[in-house]
Order: sequence, then C-alpha cells, then structure tokens
Amino acid sequence: MLRFTPSTVTRREFLVRSAATAAGTFMSIGLPVLGNVTAKADAMSGFTPSIWFTLTPDGKVTMHIVKAEMGQHVGTGLAQIIAEELEVKWDDVRLDAPLESVENFAIYGLAYTVNSGSVTTEFDRLSRAGAAGRIALIEAGAKILDAKEPDCSAANSRVIDSVSGRSISYGDVIQRVKIDRKFAYPEDFKSIKLKAPGTYTIIGKSIPALDIPSKTDGQAKYGIDVFLPNMVYGALVIPRTRYGSKVMKIDDSEARKIPGFVKAVKVDDSTGKCTGWVVALAEKFPAAVKAARALKVEVNPGPYAGLSSDDLFTEFSQTTKNPAAGANWVLEGDVDKALTGAEKILEMEYTTDMVCHATMEPLNATVQFVDGAWHVYSGTQSTSFARMTLTAYLSKVLGQKPEDIKIYVHEYLLGGGFGGKQDYDEILAAAYCAKEVGRPVKLIQTRESTFATSFPRTPSYHKLKAGLKNGELVAMDHDICCGWMGPRFSVGKKYGTDWLQLDSWDAKKEDIDQWSIGGSDHWYDVANRRVRAFDSDRTTWAVQASALRTVSNSYNMFVVESFMDEVAHALNRDPLEFRLALLNGKGSSRGIPNAGYEPGTPSDYYMDRLWISLPWPNDNTWPHYESTTVGGALRLANCLRVAAGKAGWGAKKLPPNTAMGIAVSSAEERQSPTWVAGIAEVTVDPNTGHYKINRLTIAMDPGTVINPLNAKAQIQGSALWGASQVMAERLTLKDGALAQSNFHDYTPIRLADVPPIDVELIDSGHHPSGVGEPASTVVAPAVANAIYNAVGVRVRHMPITAEAVLAGLKKKV
Amino acid sequence: MPNLTINGQSYFADAPPDTPLLWVIREDLRLTGTKYGCGVGLCGSCTVHIDGKAVRSCSIPVGAVEGSMITTIEGLNPANAHPVQQAWVEQQVPQCGYCQSGQIMQAVALLSKNPNPTEPQIVDGMTGNLCRCATYSRIVVAVKRAAEIMRQADVNEGVRHA
Repeated sequence: MLRFTPSTVTRREFLVRSAATAAGTFMSIGLPVLGNVTAKADAMSGFTPSIWFTLTPDGKVTMHIVKAEMGQHVGTGLAQIIAEELEVKWDDVRLDAPLESVENFAIYGLAYTVNSGSVTTEFDRLSRAGAAGRIALIEAGAKILDAKEPDCSAANSRVIDSVSGRSISYGDVIQRVKIDRKFAYPEDFKSIKLKAPGTYTIIGKSIPALDIPSKTDGQAKYGIDVFLPNMVYGALVIPRTRYGSKVMKIDDSEARKIPGFVKAVKVDDSTGKCTGWVVALAEKFPAAVKAARALKVEVNPGPYAGLSSDDLFTEFSQTTKNPAAGANWVLEGDVDKALTGAEKILEMEYTTDMVCHATMEPLNATVQFVDGAWHVYSGTQSTSFARMTLTAYLSKVLGQKPEDIKIYVHEYLLGGGFGGKQDYDEILAAAYCAKEVGRPVKLIQTRESTFATSFPRTPSYHKLKAGLKNGELVAMDHDICCGWMGPRFSVGKKYGTDWLQLDSWDAKKEDIDQWSIGGSDHWYDVANRRVRAFDSDRTTWAVQASALRTVSNSYNMFVVESFMDEVAHALNRDPLEFRLALLNGKGSSRGIPNAGYEPGTPSDYYMDRLWISLPWPNDNTWPHYESTTVGGALRLANCLRVAAGKAGWGAKKLPPNTAMGIAVSSAEERQSPTWVAGIAEVTVDPNTGHYKINRLTIAMDPGTVINPLNAKAQIQGSALWGASQVMAERLTLKDGALAQSNFHDYTPIRLADVPPIDVELIDSGHHPSGVGEPASTVVAPAVANAIYNAVGVRVRHMPITAEAVLAGLKKKV
Repeated sequence: MPNLTINGQSYFADAPPDTPLLWVIREDLRLTGTKYGCGVGLCGSCTVHIDGKAVRSCSIPVGAVEGSMITTIEGLNPANAHPVQQAWVEQQVPQCGYCQSGQIMQAVALLSKNPNPTEPQIVDGMTGNLCRCATYSRIVVAVKRAAEIMRQADVNEGVRHA
C-alpha cells in the first residue's frame, strides 16, 4: 500500500505525502534514510522512508508499532505521543505491528524491545513526526477552507479556521487534495516547535490501553495460538545439560508405538545454538510430549556436565583474588591510598543466585517454508534479530547465501517477556524441523523444557571494601565476578569507562560487558571509588547467561544498596540522612549532559552496543534531546525524600521485630536513569526467620509521564517482581543442568504474599525514561535493610531465605 | 471418542480419553483463550468451569468430563461483558494478559459461590493463580468491583421485576 519513489526524496528532505493507490487514498509520514549506514544489516544501503503512521480517508490513523507488546501497553503509549502532536482524536487511533522482513526493516526500523527504552528513544522523533503531519494537514486544510494558514489550527482530527469558524476533517483533507510536503532535513525537522510539558492533552492522561479488552475475552492472540494448515507439533526432549551436550544416538522404538508420532529430529546444532536438542514431532501436541518422553537419546554431555552453582561461586571468589584479571569499570580518585588512610575498613562479600524469566507463556514458535520463503510466527522481543539469527542459522545449515534466504517474521503478543524472549532457539529448531518434515511445525516448549533451556540471570559474586574516616565514606572498592552475557551475543569490544563521559573516569578502554556490571556505577558522590569487573566465561556458556528485567541492576543494586546501609550503620548514621548527603548532585552524582540518545553518536546504546544501524539518519544531524540524567542525583534524592515522607521513615510507630529499609536505584543504565526510591516495611518472626513484607512505598521520577495509570501498573508489577526475587526465586545449576523444573520448585510471588504498594509518580517534565523495570531493583535491598533494622541480621545473599535469617539470629545469640 | 459440551455446544473429541482437556479445548477446538502454563495444575492459566466450578483443564483428562457442562472464557458471556470482564477492563488489570483468562474464570467461580467476598477471601480464592506480571493488586480491586457491579445488576433486575 505504501509506495515511495526514492528518487523524489533527497538526502536533505523528509516527506509528508498522500497518494492514491488501488487501496484508496492515504497519507503517511516518513523520513529518508541516508546511505552511510554500514551495518551488518545488508538491506540498509540506499535510502527508504521510515514510516511511523498512516492516515486514511476514513479519518483513522494507524500507528505502526515495531515494539513488542508484552504487558507494558507500549503501543498505547507510543500512539499517545504521536497523537498529542498530530492533534488526532483518540478514537481514531489504531495500531498495527508491521511484518518483519528485509524490506520492512528498512522502512520501519529495528524491532527490538528492551531496557525499558521504547518511550525514551522514541519520544522525540514520534513527537516531531506527529507535529510534521499536523503542519502538512493544516497547510492543506487552510487552502480548502480558503483561509489564511496562520488563522488555522488543528484539534480532534480537524483543521479549524479561527476566522470563519469553519473546519474540515483530516479524512476529508486527504480526499480533497494531494499532499506532497517536503521538509528540509534537518533544519525544518529541528525547528518544529514541540508542545511544552503542561500543555499536553493526550500525554499524561490515563487512557485505557488498547490491548486490554481482547485480554479479557480470550480473543488476544499470542504466539502459542497460531495454527497453520497441515502443521505438525513439536516437543523438545529435555537436553542432558543446559549447554554443550552432543546427541550421539536416538532410539525411537518406544516413541513409534505412540499414535500420531511422526518422527524424531536431531536439530542441527553446528552453529552453537540448540545444542543437544532432539524434537519429537507428532500430529497432536500431547502425543509429541509423550513421544519426547519415550525417546531414548544417548548423549555426550559435553564440557559443562558435572558443573554446579557452588563450583561457579568458588571460581568467582578465586578469580577476584587476582586483581590483574579484572578491568576497571569505574575509577575515580585514588582508592588504594584512601583505603590506606582510612580509620576503619569495612569489608564484605555478597553473592546472588540465578533466577529466570519463567514467562507465563512457555517458549514456542511456529515456522513454515512456503513459496520459497520462511514464515515465522511467534511473540518475540525482537522480530528483527529473530530474522537475522534465523538467516545466519539457515545459511550455515542449508549452505545458502544469506541474501538468498527470504524470511518473514509475524509478530504476536508475548505472554510475558522480561528479557526472556530475545533468544531464538525455538524459532531455529522449528525451522529446522519444518525443513526435515516438509510441513509447518509448531514447537511448544513444555514448562519443564522452558525451565531447562531458559537463559537465566548469571550468578554473581561481590567483594566490597569501604574506607571510613571522620564519620564519612571516603573510599569504596567493589569487585564483581559473574558470567557476562555480552560475549554470547558477540558484543563486547571496548565498552569501557570512557563511554560514561565523566572526565575523571578511567580511560583504559577495557573490554567490559556493561550488561553484567552496570548498576555498580551508582550515583553517590564518593571521591575515591573503583569497580573492577571480572568475567567468568565458563559461567556465561554453562548457564547461557542472559538479560533479565533490569539486567545487571537486579543483582548489583541489591549489593550496592545493602552495603551502603552497612556503611551507614558502621558510621552510626541514619541510612536516609547518609544517602541524602551523598546524593548531592556533585562529583559522580552530577548529570551527564552529553549522554543523550543521539543516533550515530557513542551514546546511543542501541547503535553502539549492537553494531546495528537503524533506518534513520546516521549522520549526527538528528536533533539532540535532553538526557535523562539531567539533574543528576538530586532527582534521586528527591525521590528518596518523597518515599521516606510517604512511608513515615523515622516517624511511624512500628510493632516489635518490624522495621523499614530503604534503597535507591537508577536503572536501567548510567546513561538512561529512571530515578527511583523504595521503602519496605518488614516483620521478621524471630523464631523461624520467616519474614513478611507489610508494605512497599515507591517514589519514581521518570521525567514526563505518558500514561499515569499504566505507569503505576508497571511500577506495582515490577516492585512485586523485586519482592519475588528477594523472597522466593532461586535457580540453580546441578550437574550441568538447570535444576528447577516447574512452579513447585521455582516459586514466583503469589497473591497471598503481596503487600500493599504505595506509588508516588513524580512527573518532573523532563525527557521521559522507562517505567517498566527500575522499581524492581529497590525492593530487594530495601527488604534486606529492613530485616537488618528489625532483628539485626544482615543477609548477604539473594534470595534471602528464612533459613539464612534464622541462621543469622542464632549466630547473634 | 468422548462427547463434550463446551459453551453450550456439543463436540466429539478426536483424542484418547487420557488427553488433558486443555489440549482438546486449545488445539483441537481452537478455543485459544484457555492457556497452557504449567501442565500440572500449579499456575491456573488453563482454568475453565466444569459444572460451574473452577477447574485446571491441564490436569483433568477429557474422558472424565463427558456429560459435564464446560465453560471457557469465550463462553462466559455472549457480549464479553460479564461483570468480572467489565471490572477487569475498568480497573485495567491485564498486562501481558496470558494468565488473565484463568484469573477471570477463577474470579467468576469465586463470586458465584460468594458474591460478597472479604479481602482475605479474595486472596484465598485467587492465590492459586500465578501472574508473572504481578497484576495482583489490581486483581483484588477488580474482584471487589465485579461484586459491586453484580450487586447493582441484581438491584436493577429487582426494579424491573417490581
């Protein structure tokens, strides 16, 4: 339907145009992509407009959403941003999810949804796209109304002439005239005046999410709900180890007795994906499950068999004994000298176990090969990377050139994401099986195989030292060892400390995986501080370490914020007062003005981290927009005051064995903080060590709030995610395999353990940052600190079990 | 070949009698609102009504429900406007939504037994249903709100009949 003629688009223009096609008249807005994109994405040469929305003569505006819908109602939020400037009536808004292909990648851009980054990275350009559409419509509408353009304005999908009082609908405008408006780029685009916070009519409103009604009547379609003619079902035989086992022999004699059994497929694992996978194919899924159980698979268990969580922790602790093995992620002042000169040194070790996503929708994918093209049907956090990964896989497996492999990825709703749907093993295996059986394959992982093949958060080990002098924290030293996920994604050159753009930071340009170390670069103003990063490559591969909601913040904030409390207590200072004093907006607590997201500059982390170019100008001409670090830690201090006041820190009368604990966080990255403080009120049973969270208070400053009701839902949910992590979730490696298998031995929080949650949203009017994750990182340390304040027991391991609390209580006595 | 009554319609299930009801509903009859979550009755995503009671369809064989009245989320209300569904939309409960059919079916069964539940009774009735997005706080509010809508409907009904 959308047709553009590249020759009419110049490097220095972008278009708002309408056209008549067989499908009718439409208007769309796009931006030319320039030729200097040298990414791995082969389809990026030349320029093609990227498309944000399409207006049709019925007055409906379809917003093209390339972000995955996994519970964050991202489509509604992004549409609110466009609609605000386009002045479109909300009832006219529709959403669609473009099909992913080489061609559409160039039009719609990278479909990748992570890091709570959608609103942060899209806000500016979607606002400008909406405004450009409005300008073009007003110009055209004024002509039709025979009015002077300056007299005209737009509202509710209409152009209105203030002199005559006449108006015309957007739909009628594009029916009546052909719009072909060119804007000089970047000058015109930059000079578009956007609305100021405080003048919004759609942004900041709790508009009901467009995806919710279909989620209450059974009509919402997830990846698992796909059906294709003549398809066959696949169920995975649980691999012997999490990674690296080799299938030697398959005996299907028992499986063949199961009615409907089709065949057993040994999945090609020569690319290092899907190692040791055997899929049982059958006409029906229950038969496939039975067959998978009946198959006898002989394996070579590979290099990680025999490895357990305890071995990894031992290795971490050993590794950090050699400082030269680490690389500086943070270095300010002279830590060694400050520690030598300290009156007292506090030294502690912390550890955190693995956890996994355990999305309610088990992993699944449906793939068919038809008319020379592969069609993938799944709910994934990145249809773009799914396509690229499958291209690379099929290229190796089929011996074909990547450019000869045609792939379409059809996106569905995700029944939960949390970072757990950005590996594509099901898709690869389903495609391979489809090739083997010559029919479409719907591969559904059972809950058990979803656990067995999950991509968990790495276990981690921390050694911390604090130098105390004259009642102050004068030095902080933090060694972290864990599995780094970066190498698994083939990312990891040079992302070192220079990138933080704090001039005093170390510029050794070490190869550090920030996804595994980030969060330790906290916002407290400590004159002498160092974070040394140690990599356990064996862990990375043995457990297949990956990103889980807030990524490394989820363990590093637990450690940093627990330890800061220990420091406060050692100094006999109130944990609130102590934190506020260090969150002063000075030194490493100050904002980082250059850390905005400017495509093509080092501070655009999608670009830089993933080495992938996006279909918008990569020439540093995009308007700079405000960094979410603006204000620095003063905004964090404000959140802390709000939370403390709301919870009644130091003021509320509490029963015995009950106390509050506080924590702050600036997830997701140092460059993209969402400022958040949390307070947990906890009661500990001194006889059993069991503890109960009585109440959580969260105060968050995410800049401009797009949809307050939805933001609160995200904050409530992520706070409980954090509660679940500290109280109940533990994944372990045993004999090279992930040991937990279902919700009896992996036990996320349930309603009975849910405390009341007070949420204070601070709409500070700054550039928006993400709300879907950060609150989860303050809960675990706040709970740990509350337990200490209640009964004097410090647990330096996550999760915090009742047994650990009880052991601490006994040691005290 | 078991004969099933689902949402008022009669079906012959083309499946061995030991097949979990869930897979017949989802994959054979394509009533995909009922979800697979754990397969062993631990999460509640697959909750349907069997003769008005909330049952985990993953853990009951299709052969055991012949002659029973089975209701799935699709058959809960002809206009998808059951008071629980209304309350769920009004309170903006779902996030990813995957567990919500099960949550709604569980809530409807709870309210049909106890039209005016206290908060502890709601917690007790709903705690078996896992929600990984942790929409729990809103679930409690929405169950209360649904009870209110149902009471209001009863009052209106009374007025009409008076």
